[in-house]
Amino acid sequence: MYGIVAMALVAVFAVAFLYALHRAVNVLAEPLTVLPAQSGWLPQEHALSRFHARWYPASIVFLAFDVEMLFMYPWAVVVAEEGMTAVVEMFLFLGALLIAVTWAWREGVFRWV
Amino acid sequence: MGLTRILAHLAVNSARVLIVEAPGHWLTRVELEQQMLLRGWCAAWTPADADVLAVCGVPGPELVELAQRLWEQMPGPRVRVDVASSAVVGSALEDAAALLLDTPYHRADARERAQEPRIPEDHGQMGHEGMDHGGHEGMNHEGMDHGGHEGMNHEGMDHGGHEGMNHEGMDRGGHEGMNHEAMDHEGMDHAGHGGHGGMDMAPAGIALAQGGQDRDGLEMDVLHLPLGPVLPFWPAGLVLCCSLQGDVVVDAAASVVDGAGQAAGSKEPQAPPVPASAVRCDGVMALLALAGADDAAARARRARDALVRGDQGAARDVVERLHRTVRRSWLLRWSLRGVLVLDPSDLARHGLPEGCRGDAHDRLSSMVEGLRSEVCGGAVPAAVESGAVPWERMPHLVTGLELATVRLAVASLNLEPFSTVQETGHA
Amino acid sequence: MPESGMVIAAVGWAGVAGILLCALAYVAVTLDAVLSARQLGVRGGWTAPLSRAARLLRQRQRTTVAADTLLWRVGGAGMFIGAFLIVAVIPMGRWVLADPDVGIVWFNVVDVMVWALVWLTGWGANSTHSLVGGYRFLAHGLAYELPLMFALVAPAIAAGSLGVGDVVAAQDGLWFVVWMPVAFLVYLVGVTGFSVWGPFAPALAADIAGGVLAELSAVDRLVFQAGRYLFLVAGAAFSVPLFLGGGSGPVLPGWAWVLVKTVAVLAVLVWLRRKVPLVRPDRFMEIGWMVLLPAVVVQDLLVSLIVVSGG
Repeated sequence: MYGIVAMALVAVFAVAFLYALHRAVNVLAEPLTVLPAQSGWLPQEHALSRFHARWYPASIVFLAFDVEMLFMYPWAVVVAEEGMTAVVEMFLFLGALLIAVTWAWREGVFRWV
Repeated sequence: MGLTRILAHLAVNSARVLIVEAPGHWLTRVELEQQMLLRGWCAAWTPADADVLAVCGVPGPELVELAQRLWEQMPGPRVRVDVASSAVVGSALEDAAALLLDTPYHRADARERAQEPRIPEDHGQMGHEGMDHGGHEGMNHEGMDHGGHEGMNHEGMDHGGHEGMNHEGMDRGGHEGMNHEAMDHEGMDHAGHGGHGGMDMAPAGIALAQGGQDRDGLEMDVLHLPLGPVLPFWPAGLVLCCSLQGDVVVDAAASVVDGAGQAAGSKEPQAPPVPASAVRCDGVMALLALAGADDAAARARRARDALVRGDQGAARDVVERLHRTVRRSWLLRWSLRGVLVLDPSDLARHGLPEGCRGDAHDRLSSMVEGLRSEVCGGAVPAAVESGAVPWERMPHLVTGLELATVRLAVASLNLEPFSTVQETGHA
Repeated sequence: MPESGMVIAAVGWAGVAGILLCALAYVAVTLDAVLSARQLGVRGGWTAPLSRAARLLRQRQRTTVAADTLLWRVGGAGMFIGAFLIVAVIPMGRWVLADPDVGIVWFNVVDVMVWALVWLTGWGANSTHSLVGGYRFLAHGLAYELPLMFALVAPAIAAGSLGVGDVVAAQDGLWFVVWMPVAFLVYLVGVTGFSVWGPFAPALAADIAGGVLAELSAVDRLVFQAGRYLFLVAGAAFSVPLFLGGGSGPVLPGWAWVLVKTVAVLAVLVWLRRKVPLVRPDRFMEIGWMVLLPAVVVQDLLVSLIVVSGG
């Protein structure tokens, strides 16, 4: 565990070092404020807005399937001991999920443009 | 200080150049790209990443203004070079490289330049001041609609089937009052709009995004994104003002920067005529680069440069390999299949040339085939104008497409608002 | 932990591991730059990482009007830090900085964090190009992440453990890549995905003027871009204990074999970038769900059947 903490510290130190080095050698430390890049045109509105993520049905399907990983990881550890029953149970479950995904696919969940 | 100097000398080896290409100055831009390559310099895609702003050719007043704003967005160290013609490219880059090393100059520049962007005071109220420039057909508001975009569309710009949608949009929300007021009191002082466009609605002088109905009848925020004229792999001078909901273009208006007339007048005196096949190569390169096929795009670029140099032998070799790559790459085919499919009835409806038939991959294939027969087979180069697509049709073609597809679609149509070759053909 | 045969290295080695990670990223940048230059018919590119870093260090920081600066910077720096967190659980031969029981899950946690980091970097700039880029990445994530998770599970099933050390130990004699090639390939797809690399770079593509990168300059751009390369390296390095037998190999010591294998995988990933066109999220969504996911589930089924019948 300490190894991970040490590594995180090294990474934070590296980032801090880069920022400090940048501060020392760049042309002016204070950041410049500019307009967003739009080929030189003035922006008509702020870009921070309610973005229309058209793939939201796919994200719902993802969430449903992703929760399954909660079972999959512990299952992977014990499957060798539990034997065939565990394999059958898990893959019946996964099969059911995949059938649901296929249904969602036919409904056009993975196409949005 | 030693370290600063070392860093400056290292940095100048990989400077990035933001290229502003005035319409009709194709050759200057290509020459610039060739010389940049020899220095190990790359093109920047946005001012954020640029060290050098290179204005190719003689820009019109509108492009000058855009270039100025891009210049203000560059972080610095920054150097601006005006490359009037292809003959002065070398010395311009030489100067730029020398000035990039001058750290004290850049320190002073950083301190003395404007630290905040200049946003016109009435910008927050005037929804599309940024777009409201003379020559924009389809966006010419005659100064009467200072309100939202509903006003703009309402004002009788026919965007086909979108009209209904926009009218509907107008009935919603607190904006109609503002629009009507603005239209009724044409020419009155802007103070009257203050109540609507005040600070709460326009933080930092920029309005907040407004909702609009999407194709499914949901109310979604609309963002306005002008594509061009300074955008990588984009036809010089073209401006496509897109209204986006998410990453789908729900409405668009096309124009050319400085208007079409201005550009025709500012043609560069082109000593060597531009070979038509080189221009075609450039188009192929843009499409391949946008599709992300970097190796194939690099081939197209080498072929283009060889053709500009007049090195037929090298060009033949590279074009053959390009042709093979494009024909064999099933991933490229998969990626471009179904992008802006045009059948004969579409072509007739939009008045497009026969060569635009099919999808982006069909168009790419026919471009590369044509290139091969010109360069390797000795066929007479087809005049580019015979395949040129009228840019006015673009809004009708791209509305409803996703942004990446729009870019591929534009690149796949041989879209030169001011065909370089056309002019030299007459000369 | 001790039963896996791993030796926990002193925390002081974290610095060495960090330097090694950065050195490999340096190699990746150089390779990419040299390949690019060669393809365009010029020499050079060998000093690309140095001169690019110098350029960005010299550049002035820049922020856009009304940007969400805190979140924006968190995104960039997070990309840089995330890769280090993965490397902490990668064994170099017998030595490893940390060998938690759930090393594979740890890797998974960090790679999912990239979703937030890339999206924040796109969101924070208050610029339409970057915003579109950020959401493009999320759409990609929806498609590559599940196959990647199932690919990670395959070695865990075979080893009967989620510890990276145990997975290496279980490959004694036969590397997992031999009998789980589909999981290996899908894993590499996932690595390119979370590194926003090659075909999975529409979030940073030219068509939206660099997307997430559109407003980044100076050191902010440097840490984000370096972070991508570091993630690519970390992903390539993690494939070694997972599928390529860890440090096993003749003559050379274990740690050297880990390095050799990492560089080999890395070189392939860098080389492929130029060959494979962008895979736009709207095209990849169906591929991810209807091709990769079933394929890797079948792979998991085969692995578990082999384990149950053989064990």
